[in-house]
Amino acid sequence: MPSASKLLKAAAIAAAIAGLLLIIVVLPAEYGIDPLGTGAALGLTRISDSTPLPEEAVAPADQAALTPVAEGPVAHYAAEYKSDVVEFDIGPYEYVEYKYRLAQGATMLYSWKASSEVIHDLHGERDGAPANSAESFEKRNRQQASGTLSAPFSGLHGWYWENPGGDPVHVKLTTAGFYSAAVEIRMDHSRHPRVLSSANAPPVRTTSEVGTAR
Amino acid sequence: MSRRTWTRTLLLATLLLGAVHLFAHEEFRFIGTIARVQSAQLQVKTKEGQTIAMKLNPSTYIHRDKQEAKVTAADLKVGDSVVVDALGDNLTDLLALEVRIVPPIAPTKPK
Repeated sequence: MPSASKLLKAAAIAAAIAGLLLIIVVLPAEYGIDPLGTGAALGLTRISDSTPLPEEAVAPADQAALTPVAEGPVAHYAAEYKSDVVEFDIGPYEYVEYKYRLAQGATMLYSWKASSEVIHDLHGERDGAPANSAESFEKRNRQQASGTLSAPFSGLHGWYWENPGGDPVHVKLTTAGFYSAAVEIRMDHSRHPRVLSSANAPPVRTTSEVGTAR
Repeated sequence: MSRRTWTRTLLLATLLLGAVHLFAHEEFRFIGTIARVQSAQLQVKTKEGQTIAMKLNPSTYIHRDKQEAKVTAADLKVGDSVVVDALGDNLTDLLALEVRIVPPIAPTKPK
């Protein structure tokens, strides 16, 4: 039987080895977090980059241009003012997410309406945070909502809509603001970036059936 | 350290890493009908035609749509329409977290 001190020593060494492997192998491969550069050297960061989304499409753009510069009650943006209109057909018990990239402090106006009540979660994914660490701003069943969102942090901000019933639900979303990209995230975890138009141009109106690329 | 202590140390390190890996799982949703069910395993044929196998365990929350009361795996019948939320690394290694028995789902009309 090993002594308590030997067990403690073994546990400490085990924790140190696990920690090292976590930093050298697991974090780069699973999350793309590579503090020592070992993930890139071993080619592990490619594993975490294997999502089908061309990530650059929703990657942080020119943060400075998207960040408001306050002058009293007025906030100026160097970035272009954009608008977006998008519609979704959500099948029975399916869900869809639609998010915009906003810089901290940037504002977006929105209005959405569903053909029947949906499970709804307005939330944000902080830049650099691990996957599945979204921060919820409002989570409750709704059929419609209108308002403004001032991004509390830089990252992807938007909606999760879930159809709780057996009949399809139609959702129409209209937004305007200082965002740099939009992405639709479907139930199969696939990400579909969307081309955004300038608010000065006529909005591009499309309908998306969840789970079916068009 | 003795060889035995080293072995234990490496075993413990492996277990710790395994524990870390548990948190890396993703959640998947499957909507379809039950193709096969046993006490610890469920196969769901999705509306896309794919058959997905997943494990059931005592923590799996099985219930009827809009009812919170838990039912057992014995209440699951082949052909039942279900909505399953499962956790796993990929489609071949899944544990069902929640199985919701729902009314039959009408097939989507072709457009």
